[in-house]
Amino acid sequence: MARRALRLPGPSARRSRRGDVIGISVLAVLLAVFPFVAPGSLTNVGVYALIYSLAALGLSLLMGLAGQVSLGHAGFFAIGAYTQAVLVTEYEVGGLLASVAAVAVTMAVALAVGLPLLRLRGHYLALATLGFGIIVTVLAAESTFLGATSGIFGIPKPEFNGRVYNSTTEYFLLLVPVVLLALLLARNVVESRIGRALGAVNDSEVAAETLGVDTFRLRLQVFVLSAAYASVAGTAFAHWLGVVNPNAANFPLSVSFLLMAVLGGLGTVYGAVIGAFAVEGLDDGLRRLIPELVPGAVGEVQLIGFGILLTTIMIFLPGGLYQLWTTARRRLSGSDLEDGGAPLPAEGAALPPDEGPLLAREGRPAAGTPLLEVSGLTKRFGGVTAVDDLDLTVHAGEIVALIGPNGAGKTTAFNMISGAVAPTAGTVTMAGTRVEGRKPHVFARAGATRTFQNLQIFGSSTVLGNVMVGRHLRSRTGLIGAALVVPARREERAVEASARELLDLLGLGADADRLAVDLPFGRQRLVEIARALALQPDLLLLDEPMAGLSGAERRDLARLLRRLRAGGMAIVLVEHDVEAVLALADRVAVLEDGVRIALGTPEQVRHDPAVVAAYLGVEPEDSAAVAVAETGPGELP
Amino acid sequence: MVDLLQLVFAGLSQGAVYALVAIGFVAIFTVSGVINLAQGEFAALGGLVAISAVGSGLPLLAAVVVAVATVAVVAVLMERLTIAPVKRMTTLVSLILTLGVSTGLKALMLLVYGPDAEGLTPINPGGFTVGGVSIRYQELWILAVAAVVSAAVYWFYERTLAGKALRACAEQPVAARLVGISLGRASLTAFLIAGCVGAIAGVMASPIYFTSWESGLTLGLKGFVAATLGGLVSVRGAVLGGLLLGVLENLTAGYVSTGLRDAVAFLLLIVVLVARPSGVFGRSAEARV
Repeated sequence: MARRALRLPGPSARRSRRGDVIGISVLAVLLAVFPFVAPGSLTNVGVYALIYSLAALGLSLLMGLAGQVSLGHAGFFAIGAYTQAVLVTEYEVGGLLASVAAVAVTMAVALAVGLPLLRLRGHYLALATLGFGIIVTVLAAESTFLGATSGIFGIPKPEFNGRVYNSTTEYFLLLVPVVLLALLLARNVVESRIGRALGAVNDSEVAAETLGVDTFRLRLQVFVLSAAYASVAGTAFAHWLGVVNPNAANFPLSVSFLLMAVLGGLGTVYGAVIGAFAVEGLDDGLRRLIPELVPGAVGEVQLIGFGILLTTIMIFLPGGLYQLWTTARRRLSGSDLEDGGAPLPAEGAALPPDEGPLLAREGRPAAGTPLLEVSGLTKRFGGVTAVDDLDLTVHAGEIVALIGPNGAGKTTAFNMISGAVAPTAGTVTMAGTRVEGRKPHVFARAGATRTFQNLQIFGSSTVLGNVMVGRHLRSRTGLIGAALVVPARREERAVEASARELLDLLGLGADADRLAVDLPFGRQRLVEIARALALQPDLLLLDEPMAGLSGAERRDLARLLRRLRAGGMAIVLVEHDVEAVLALADRVAVLEDGVRIALGTPEQVRHDPAVVAAYLGVEPEDSAAVAVAETGPGELP
Repeated sequence: MVDLLQLVFAGLSQGAVYALVAIGFVAIFTVSGVINLAQGEFAALGGLVAISAVGSGLPLLAAVVVAVATVAVVAVLMERLTIAPVKRMTTLVSLILTLGVSTGLKALMLLVYGPDAEGLTPINPGGFTVGGVSIRYQELWILAVAAVVSAAVYWFYERTLAGKALRACAEQPVAARLVGISLGRASLTAFLIAGCVGAIAGVMASPIYFTSWESGLTLGLKGFVAATLGGLVSVRGAVLGGLLLGVLENLTAGYVSTGLRDAVAFLLLIVVLVARPSGVFGRSAEARV
């Protein structure tokens, strides 16, 4: 898909958990010591770095997880700051309560902005948030209630238990636990079911949706969360500076948030904090240095450094400082293996030679009840009718094959049935739910999923990670649960266990911790099937599952499908290997030029004159078939 | 009624500036899928270079030529140095990259030309009044130049081989490469067009709307909104979108509140994207994959 974010690292969960405990502890110690070793002016820079790191963290989540950019995060920052200022100075609300309200207000605004825009491609959100930042500046400067251009004054330093935090060192130390907590929550979200799903979306949106991931909803949630982070920064800013004016929503501030996140490295939460310190240090240094170099330079001259840095990082070091760190660590340890030092592939690890039913599930529709009903399905691309008035009913527990020459419309039919493409006309009903023209995750929710003719493996993830995304709908943890980690841990373990079980079943167990893209082609197909099976679907659509497989692999796959059928699953497959299909399927539908020319048992189809003509070029009465027979079936894997 | 005519006319001339900026967005987006956040800076830079050239004693026309040439060089350098080296251009990467260039250009203008807004000498100062509507000569110049430039760009895309090659890259990159069109060259040409058109927009706008190091920010945003109104892929749509935005802004400023002028673009963007993502003037097309 066109929209791809920067790659998120996909280390195994256990390793990363230990690494994070160490990482956060080290950071905590460094931050706690900082105000005592740094000179006073630098501690002041440090306070701003901590405040801004909260906003940068939010932005890092948005970019790293959701693959979206906000160019107006200072707008959310300002809304947080203004709300806090108004509540504290005008209504004498306590600081903590006010900040809760400030964050809530900001999240509501973010929801209103994100709701229309996150449905669209990424640059619209970027430009709209840029406009949003400008609007916040304009509105604040126009509003007498908000003090117009001079803003709101006299916000007191925070006070807890009679202690006022008014020195640089004290405020710094007050912020450290806030930032660490924010970091921990962000880290938990990245490592969670939500983070995994969004990482998958960045690799292949359509595949993630097919496994039940509601991309729009998750992106929106992350956007709102990211605005919340910015508003927390805003409240801290209001109390420290004591005044909030329209400059709080200034574009250069949004740019510096962005630079902090990018410089530190997207996809790692530490990057935002480290980036914030680096950028604030740079900002301070350039503001001093440039007027000395260029006499008479005034204003936001530090932007020149920001601009150059943003551009050079994106070209030479897209992973930011974090990329530098991982590369260095890999060099030092003298190993070029990916995280975990994956074992070698277990070549030809065959499926267990068992023929029993597989993945039977409680509450599955009884064999023979209609599951998928396709009626009058039609797709026109301009003047070409790719699929013409297709009717097809699939019953629980049967294997239906969809065959036909190249360009017959098989994959288009699949795309419409699974919701990836909206039909021109016709209906698709899956287990009582109308799914046509809706997103693939609706199809998945109705208990059906698919694989792809051109593999849609989640490339930045391990085999296990791929299959765990398949468990998305069979697990519950939302954003809040993920952030708070404790309720999520148990479920994570269960998800991992069931994914490993499934991999063992398909003979992929030995490859579980390898990057999925490192596997040979045939085994990647198997990973895709395992991933689909992890959903425990009632209906599985397979688009050319045999293509590119060796003879032995094909036999294994056929056996697997028979066992799944015995377990009560319905399977529809598009396939070019006609003999394999006729041996496997209960019923066969033949498409030609978008029209279903035959439907019946393999035996019936094998002797159907129109089918024979389409495939073998025998002269029949049917003129349409003659045309195809003359050009040949054109079979290519 | 006179008020309305006055506002509409002022809106049209301002909209013509947005239209020129919008054409720059469209030129680059169609070829490379990149939204060039530095497009507004092209205009600001054009204005500032022209002002300082006039200040150093060049005749106006020569100053304009210098300004357009300078921005064209900057645009081409930007393409070669920042866009061309990136192998996997995602939306995220392209936005951050062009934001970096935009920020760098802004700061450079601040350092070289200082923080104050200035206006270029108009071609003919003053104006006249027709039926109560006062018209500045510069506004007529803006409309005339915008009409000529957009017609020229349109003609280039529709009638010349090079223009058709560019459109081919936009619609079918793989097929275009197969018939021997170089995507790198196409991208370079697109940036060249965007740079020239942007500089012309900046030069024409400067006498009335003034130019400063940061005027590219809102100008760029409004150009983008105008381009979006036209569906982001059509020169004609961008021109119509620019004019519409200019008129709506002026009507809002005249009848509602001057302060809300800048809010119009943003609200329009959201309304259009929700109601009709393919643009008001665009055909609804399948997304480019």
